[in-house]
Amino acid sequence: MKHILIIEDEILIQQSLKKLFERRGLRVDVSASGKTAIDMILSTDYDRIICDLMLQDISGFDVIEESKKRFSAQEIGQKFVIMTAYNSPQVLSRANSYQCKLLNKPFDNLEEALRLMTE
Amino acid sequence: MENRPDPLHPTPVKLLTVHIDPLILNDLPPSSIKEDSFKLTAANEAQFTLLKKGSRLWVQFPDGEFCDYPYYLKNVTCVLEGFKAYSKPRPDLIDTFSSFIKSTESIEKKMFSNVSMSPGENVKDLWDEIIKKVNSISAESHSLKGLVEKILDVPFLQSFQTSLVILHLKGQTKAELLGTMWRSEKVHGLIEVKDFNNSFNSIRKSKIKSFSTDAFTKINLPFNGSFLAKEVISKKYSLIAIVSRHDFLNYSHEEIELFETCIDLLQPHFERLIDQEFSDQKISELRICLKHFPLPLRIRDGHSGSSFMNDLYNNELQDQDIFFNKKVKGPFSLDLYDSDELRHYAFDLFHFQRISLLGELLNTLRHELSNPLFGLKLSSQIFTTLEVTPDDKELMEEIEKNVNRCQSIIENFSNLYQINHETKPVALKKMIEESMTLAKSEIREVTRKVEYGPDSEDIILNVPLIFVVQILFNLIVNAAQAMRNQPHRAELTIEVTKVGEQVQIDVSDNGAGIPEDKLINLFKPFFTTKNQGTGLGLVLSRNLTVKMGGNLEFIKNLKEKGASFRLTLPLS
Repeated sequence: MKHILIIEDEILIQQSLKKLFERRGLRVDVSASGKTAIDMILSTDYDRIICDLMLQDISGFDVIEESKKRFSAQEIGQKFVIMTAYNSPQVLSRANSYQCKLLNKPFDNLEEALRLMTE
Repeated sequence: MENRPDPLHPTPVKLLTVHIDPLILNDLPPSSIKEDSFKLTAANEAQFTLLKKGSRLWVQFPDGEFCDYPYYLKNVTCVLEGFKAYSKPRPDLIDTFSSFIKSTESIEKKMFSNVSMSPGENVKDLWDEIIKKVNSISAESHSLKGLVEKILDVPFLQSFQTSLVILHLKGQTKAELLGTMWRSEKVHGLIEVKDFNNSFNSIRKSKIKSFSTDAFTKINLPFNGSFLAKEVISKKYSLIAIVSRHDFLNYSHEEIELFETCIDLLQPHFERLIDQEFSDQKISELRICLKHFPLPLRIRDGHSGSSFMNDLYNNELQDQDIFFNKKVKGPFSLDLYDSDELRHYAFDLFHFQRISLLGELLNTLRHELSNPLFGLKLSSQIFTTLEVTPDDKELMEEIEKNVNRCQSIIENFSNLYQINHETKPVALKKMIEESMTLAKSEIREVTRKVEYGPDSEDIILNVPLIFVVQILFNLIVNAAQAMRNQPHRAELTIEVTKVGEQVQIDVSDNGAGIPEDKLINLFKPFFTTKNQGTGLGLVLSRNLTVKMGGNLEFIKNLKEKGASFRLTLPLS
């Protein structure tokens, strides 16, 4: 695990996570925009993509759909970690369909959340 | 006869005026003339004049024509009955009477023309019987359909098989076909208004009123053969009456005349029954309208005192429509219930909207605030791990603590609006503390005492935490608001007592207390004494209590001052 992309439009969260990961010796890119993130995903090899669902321009699910151009369904399940504050049944079932990890905001336990995002 | 103007369109008259020959008045029993049934005037001012000529009755019509009746006393009574029945200051009834009396005459004439110059008893009997039958079937019928079926009971129609009516109410897009076939089979159908109008016009233009289904193709009648038809027109409806023997023979002149007369005689009864059905339908539509009217309303009937309340008016949501069920006949007054009470309820509707809006707002707030709060929390956590002075570190920790508090307040509030409540063991003490935290701003400057009785400090309840917190929060806020601006020190007391298998939680204040007259409404929805109150707090609280198998009640304070509410919950 070397290179991480954080897609999050809440700058405080984005920057805090960036710092927390950097302290753990990881290389971190960030994006507040879903569209920019898609370009980054298609052009850069990230080991892990941490993606918020409610972005200003498009949704996190749109980002994942666009990433299918480059990754197989299995790779998507491994690379993406979805973060969300809206854990409605619809969101949960869609997230499950990608087989990727899901994190509820706010995190109950920060250390555990960081571990889950990087392992 | 042929030279007379159309009896259906005579000169308009306002009041039925009659002159009766003094000779007739002498012959009649005094009871047969009521002064209020028509206006008796001098011969030159009267619209109708009844004269006695030998043993005959002569009737002079407004247009100057005369007709004579051979059976003097019988007929004079019959004509006078007609006057009584129809003479009201309504021009349309006078028209009807005019046509009634002329039909009577035409039947008489018909009888005599057929039975030559020496009238026998049988002719008189038939005439009597027809009139009698028409009167009796009209009196027996409570619906147009019923009357149409009974037409076949009229003596000269006894060989007929089918009686139908096609009714078109003005403004409707379809005409209704109803009646009976083969004297037993009920007929019902709908006819396009265009086809109805075509048929109606050709029947009106026809002089013989006798038709055949082969030639009459505008309406698809449910039988084959020749039939008699007559049109009736009124302000509210047009109608075609049809009778048939189900054969292909032509009808006699006599039958046609009798049929026409019969329908003329029945016209006022058609009118009455259609009016009635019309108004029944109107009432039922009105009832639905009022029942679902978006404001609470009550209608009172001044005569019988019966009333109607719609769903919104009635808190218990009972369908109280005594008013409509009673079908108040005759004069009655409808009063929209307008009082302070109505305004009060209307005001509450506004409150209701406000409350549901509040729920939505809270939900949005929760989502919108959660993210930035989480950001604040994360970033403050990062700062606490940095090399900073102890003062700065303390400041950062304080930020994080406050962020947590905001987060939990938002969650607690929005939980109040959630439906999904899981039951798990919770410490009562914790729930009381949480309620106090939520109500912190309300109970500022209030002395708080939480007193636990023996064995009650460590009580664990297996209940939805949110339920209890919401109830206690409500009671605490109510208590705090009741003590606002009072001269003496505000004091809130919560006493927890274990009583058998239950726990009692008494929430008391030392405010002004609740006036006796308000007690009865305490748990009624939308009842509030506060300017900004919703009137829902205690109602919701009691509902939640009942769900948990407990009880919420008002108990008098021992000190005779302030209010005290008792929440009782089962321990198991």
